[in-house]
Amino acid sequence: MNETLPPPLIERTPPAPRRARRARYRLRVATVAVCLTLMCALAGAVAGRIYHGQLLALLVVGAAFAAFAIGFALRNRPAFLAPSASATGLAAYLLGAIVLTSDGADPLGTEIVDALVNAVPRTLTALIPVEPAPDTVVVPVFLSWLAATLACEFAIRYGRTLLGCLPPTLLYAAGLYLVGPNAAPGTLYAVAFCVLAAAALAVTAAPPERRPDRDAQVDGPAPSRTPALIGAVVTTTVLVAAVAVLGPAVARLVTTSPGDPREFVEPPQLTDIDLNPLVRIAEWAKYPDQELFIADTSADAWMRLAVLTEYDGTTWQATGDFRTAGTVIPGAGEADYSADVEIIELGGKLVPAAADPATVTDLPIAVNLYTRCLLTPDGLATGSKFHVDSALVHTDPAAAETARADLSDAATVAVPMGTPEIMATIADYINTEYDTPYAKAQGLADFLGQHYAFDPEAPSGHDLPALGFFLASPVDAGGQRGTSEHFAAAYAVIARLIGLPSRVVVGFDVPEGASTVTAAQGLAWPEIAFDGVGWVRFDPMPAAGAVPVPPEDTLEQMEEETPSPEEASGGGGEAEDFNDEALEQDGDFNDEAGQEDSGLPVWVWYAAAALLLACVPLALKARRALRRRRRLSRGSPAERVAGAWAEVLSEAARAGVKVPGHANAEEAAARLAVLAADIGVLPRLVNAAAFAPGAVAEEDARAAAQVAEAYPRSVRHQVKRWKRFLT
Amino acid sequence: MHDTEQTHPLRVPRSMQQQQVTLGAAQAESFATAFERLGAAIDTVVLGKQEVVRLALTAMFAEGHILLEDVPGTGKTTLARAIAAAVSGQWRRIQFTPDLLPSDVSGVTIFNQASGAFEFHPGPVFANIVIADEINRASPKTQSALLEVMEEGRVTVDGNPHSVPQPFLVVATQNPVEMDGTYRLPEAQLDRFLVKLSVGYPVEAAEIEVLRGTHQRSPEHLPSVVDTDTVAQMAEMAKHVYIAEPLYAYLVQLANATRNHPQTAVGVSPRGLIALTRAASVFALSQGRTYIIPEDVKALAGPVFSHRIQLAPDAAMRGATGAGVVADAFEQVSVPLPASAA
Repeated sequence: MNETLPPPLIERTPPAPRRARRARYRLRVATVAVCLTLMCALAGAVAGRIYHGQLLALLVVGAAFAAFAIGFALRNRPAFLAPSASATGLAAYLLGAIVLTSDGADPLGTEIVDALVNAVPRTLTALIPVEPAPDTVVVPVFLSWLAATLACEFAIRYGRTLLGCLPPTLLYAAGLYLVGPNAAPGTLYAVAFCVLAAAALAVTAAPPERRPDRDAQVDGPAPSRTPALIGAVVTTTVLVAAVAVLGPAVARLVTTSPGDPREFVEPPQLTDIDLNPLVRIAEWAKYPDQELFIADTSADAWMRLAVLTEYDGTTWQATGDFRTAGTVIPGAGEADYSADVEIIELGGKLVPAAADPATVTDLPIAVNLYTRCLLTPDGLATGSKFHVDSALVHTDPAAAETARADLSDAATVAVPMGTPEIMATIADYINTEYDTPYAKAQGLADFLGQHYAFDPEAPSGHDLPALGFFLASPVDAGGQRGTSEHFAAAYAVIARLIGLPSRVVVGFDVPEGASTVTAAQGLAWPEIAFDGVGWVRFDPMPAAGAVPVPPEDTLEQMEEETPSPEEASGGGGEAEDFNDEALEQDGDFNDEAGQEDSGLPVWVWYAAAALLLACVPLALKARRALRRRRRLSRGSPAERVAGAWAEVLSEAARAGVKVPGHANAEEAAARLAVLAADIGVLPRLVNAAAFAPGAVAEEDARAAAQVAEAYPRSVRHQVKRWKRFLT
Repeated sequence: MHDTEQTHPLRVPRSMQQQQVTLGAAQAESFATAFERLGAAIDTVVLGKQEVVRLALTAMFAEGHILLEDVPGTGKTTLARAIAAAVSGQWRRIQFTPDLLPSDVSGVTIFNQASGAFEFHPGPVFANIVIADEINRASPKTQSALLEVMEEGRVTVDGNPHSVPQPFLVVATQNPVEMDGTYRLPEAQLDRFLVKLSVGYPVEAAEIEVLRGTHQRSPEHLPSVVDTDTVAQMAEMAKHVYIAEPLYAYLVQLANATRNHPQTAVGVSPRGLIALTRAASVFALSQGRTYIIPEDVKALAGPVFSHRIQLAPDAAMRGATGAGVVADAFEQVSVPLPASAA
């Protein structure tokens, strides 16, 4: 009798397969854990590209690993334990990170409070590369920890791998936002991130027979995985090929750079003395023995305090905002000059440094990326010490002599209204006497040096009337003599009248070695920009002991020698007009129109994208039609009946009636009854197909197919319009 | 003999008893007809309780035992007696009382002075159908006397085994309301009942009909519809109902769901699973089918599983029931239908 009994219901699972299943489960969980941890670490490290050094990357990677490890270790414990342990771990890790990045200048408590209170604004405003400091590492470490904790909870505790990928993805997006346009595209990061996410999802993916859109399966051998595998490989190949082909073209359509959060931040404000540092020249000239700072330098150099490019007829001011920076100033070359500075009486916020500063230590720094001058937000104080390394700017005089003026920046050639007539006269004189921009620049420096005298007692002022007085007033009236403020300011304005881009620099002449820099070494000088050469310093100051020639003598002589306009037009062809715009548009100038002609018009790409989008509903409809055809026409009668049942359920789901997995055929039919569409004998047939061997005949399969084909028409009016259109 | 096997639709051929053979549709139809005839006969005595009657018959053909639990006067004993009357076999009734002894149930060995030997006098349990009325009024010791015979179909007295006639069916009744002087059935014995049914009050129309013909509808007047041989044949036939492979997994998952349910202290045992399979087989045949479908499982899981589930004390205090646990289990396990999750 026992032989006729059905197989035993409770079969003791052999130990070996159970161990194998357990091993496979552990392998899957371990793979998901590793992938998500690496995703969190990678997403956190994305922000590390704008930080100085590798410290931040190491910190966020460590945070991701530690947070995930805590969550993983407590995955089988009560849910409330994980957040508690994770919060404790986060606090300890943040404390360690703050201690590690602190310079020890303030007590630890102060550092912690300051870091926690100011973390967000300082992280967003710090100039790139950001220095890893307590206040700039707290946010990335916190977010990495949080993302790893949530990823572990979602994916490991609750088994929702896709949801577990969300926190690292958000962290990745936050990292990209923080980086903005300040780093090269991290293609490798993105690819690695996607590969990790795909791996985590792949190892936890349901096998084909458990997927909702699987083919009909009736009692019999397990379905073959080959079609699903082939489909996955083909789909992946098509996707990769599409990305490879369309990606570059789509990328070309994007012409804007990512937004930079730093643009929304209020920059450090300057005081009056820093806004118009040129007024300091008069004071320094009057008290030349005043000790400003002690400098120990590696070479002779001009240390700049301020660079002034904008002139409104009253004051010279700097262009651009100062941004908080770390020890490393972005965009500098390799440092070949160093200086240790100790402040004595130099006030204000502007920091003296040789161009071009590369690193500054022991002093909080903000930098003006336009002029590359430095500022310390708290201001200089007696006793302040810092070290600055610079990449000295070396200009090639020979190249400058033949170079054209660099007119790319309109601010450096802007001339205010109402310039004194003497300035135009001098400009005409220089234009007449000299040909090349460099010759004109040097000629102007020579002219001022030969015709005007240095007078430390000259009253301060560099507005247009003051400069007119300096240039044109008689010597007896106090004119024609001044400080470097007057010389540099007058030179810069006249140079702009000539057509040369100019600016005024305030700084110090600092010799090599240790020395005390006094006010006598402080002066202003003009600089002219040459194309391909950069800014070149000129010295309009008279030589020591030289007797100035009255300028009116030279200028009157020039007027007598100047030819008439007709003569000038006939004989002036020898001199090349270096400011002629026609010369700028030579053969190597690339205009945008030519660039567009080289590729397909933009509308073609838009049309292609629209066509692709339009193809999506068509592809979905075609997929459904093919699936229905396959389900209803292929396989044994039992498989076709099961396919018809699957079609009916899927159509009902489109109409908004979903049948839960625990419903049997009778219950499913009861649920489908709300759609008022007849499914006839299908429930009975599907039970026979699924649970009775050979109980379904060919005519049964045909009857089931008829029901399945008629069903979509019956419920079509109950399917939402967008579903009907899109799927 | 060969011809008899061919012509008798309710007889399982000997060859089928040796191996797993799928039944034919004609045999299933014959089974369904006989089942329905039997049910219709009992329906004439127990009015308005067709579902309970069919479940009781299902248990009988599944070679299981029936526990009827309900308040007094709802027809428990009537149903038991009607089943006994409809089957033309030997039936006995035991009225369980606190002073009932185990030997009163199983029988006793007496020394016969005439023959000078000990003779075994069988107890009332030696019958095809035994009605154990008010079973919870007997002492646990007496209740346990039924354990062996219910499971193994034999009684051991003084070391000598005595087989009871086949088919053997115990129909026990108990009253859940009056608990004074009763002894709750032990779990081991509850597990031996294939189904536990509640007759319940009849609907209004049926109750009026009951009042109209009380005297005419006594089980004593019920003619027998089938004999014990036929019952045995039908029970044998039920063992050859086809069960698809996915249904085995479905059944085990259901049992696991009851075992892992938070309100459960002890879930359904493997014996309970086997009972459900046997009952579902009979139920499928009674519908004229030679194979089990999930609907059969769902129809029988409540009566078969509910009394085998031991609730956790706190869940019992909160009013949870075994039927609720079974319903939850069905919500958790997917039916092995194609694309049922689509």
